[in-house]
Amino acid sequence: MDDKFDCIIVGGGIAGLSAAMELAKNDMKFLLIERGEFAGAKNVSGGVLWGTDLARLVPEYWTEDPDEAGWERFVNHRRLTFMDDQSAFSFDFKSDHFDAQPYKGLVVLRSKFDRWLADKVQEAIDQSEVAMESFLATNILVDKVLKDENGKVNGIKAGEEEFFADSVIIAEGVNNLLTRQVGLQDEYVPADHVMTGVKEVIRMDRETIDERFQLDGLSGMSNEFLGYATDGVEGGGFLYTNRASLSVGLVLGLKDLREKVKKPYDILNKFKEHPAIADMIRGGEVVEYSAHVVSSGDMRVMPEEIYADGVMIAGEAANLLMNAGKAIQGMDYAMRSGILAAETVMEAKEAGDFSKQQMKTYRDKLEESYVLKDMRGFQGAVQTLHQPEMVDEIPDLVCDFGRKFFTVDDSPTPKARKMFSEAVSKNSSWWNLMRLSLKAAKNL
Amino acid sequence: MPEKKSLQEKLGTINYRNQAKSDIKAHISVDTDICNSTCPHQCTTYVCPADCYKIDENGKVYFQVEDCIECGTCLYACDQGAVSWEFPDPEEGRGVNWNYG
Repeated sequence: MDDKFDCIIVGGGIAGLSAAMELAKNDMKFLLIERGEFAGAKNVSGGVLWGTDLARLVPEYWTEDPDEAGWERFVNHRRLTFMDDQSAFSFDFKSDHFDAQPYKGLVVLRSKFDRWLADKVQEAIDQSEVAMESFLATNILVDKVLKDENGKVNGIKAGEEEFFADSVIIAEGVNNLLTRQVGLQDEYVPADHVMTGVKEVIRMDRETIDERFQLDGLSGMSNEFLGYATDGVEGGGFLYTNRASLSVGLVLGLKDLREKVKKPYDILNKFKEHPAIADMIRGGEVVEYSAHVVSSGDMRVMPEEIYADGVMIAGEAANLLMNAGKAIQGMDYAMRSGILAAETVMEAKEAGDFSKQQMKTYRDKLEESYVLKDMRGFQGAVQTLHQPEMVDEIPDLVCDFGRKFFTVDDSPTPKARKMFSEAVSKNSSWWNLMRLSLKAAKNL
Repeated sequence: MPEKKSLQEKLGTINYRNQAKSDIKAHISVDTDICNSTCPHQCTTYVCPADCYKIDENGKVYFQVEDCIECGTCLYACDQGAVSWEFPDPEEGRGVNWNYG
């Protein structure tokens, strides 16, 4: 069959495009199908793309004219902030170390970034030996994954059209309807498996951002928040600097949101009114409000398996995401899993075997990579971060201590140890603190 | 502080597909009989970030797809089996077209 592809990729987000890039560079015949008007049209993230895999897909991307680039700023200033209703106590780290290329973290806006990456993939297709036989197709919704008489996935159906391939990579994102359709995940995924992200993009002059955040035009800051930010709901807040806007938002545990009867945008409004945030976003104009479900990063949420005969699941469709308190990682996992899925396709083609046994290589590769190593290694940290104490007790304690420690007035100053002790008994207990620090020490 | 915007104004910043079309094919269907009879929480009326699930003057839940931003929240939040969720059809459906994302 001449019109059969080596691979069909469903979804033109980061996982799908990364797979496509690898396939294009290796002269494979593929079809990538994106339901949005363009790649990125349907994608939302916080978001920072951590890690360095982008340099592998687009070598020396940093040498490109910054005005043409798909990314916003590289992160060289990181901050984790504990909040109570009026204070913010931050762990703040800035280092020239982060200025070295390849960058370790890039702030991105997906509508722009994914479209840029898709252009790079198209360039790679044009330079490949099968330039006329590989395609990036947009505006098409895949309705169904097709299987042959033996149950091996062999194509997709979109409207009345059917397309066939030796393999299919499902990179459809967290709302993984096709993954459920092929039977790799339950039809209904409960609320405690996911979080709802809400975000505003707030426009601000580039110069204002540079001055306000002490940046130089291309360097950027990532700031995560715990505590008051989420108004008692499990989760956290974030603020990232784009070139000429800020991304400000929250990630909220959906089950907790449901139980506490709160509206995500009310919490976001409250977060924006906190003095620490208000000072950072002052004068800006909201140019886009957005929301999207995000995986909780709990491995129990993962599909039963991420491969079957002729098919692999990549990116957030496989719930590859982690927030262990250090960074919210998801786009880097999408990138790596897309790359590994593409490698698996190439090896399968070489072996002339697209069976389940062969597709298992994808799982093995992911297990050997930092993606599943980290997800497994930090599950305890993920769960610690989701403890109710992390929502109020601990941030309150930290801020209470901070207020005492940094206050200078005309009364005698107690020793820091006493201040800390007071903060502990007021907001938590030694027992709780010990329990959590033991957990943290073990898990981080 | 940026000027305060109501949710309606915030939703106004969003670029939707087929915005000019009056007759669109809804990608989510909600069996509101469930919401209005056995559901103990009617949570979609407050967890939906785009306020697509509303309560009418008689206290009944109803669903409006127009402002839906395909976030997926209701797909997980509803544990009563009332929500059938699909991706919008590119030609006949609604859904978002993010400017920033």
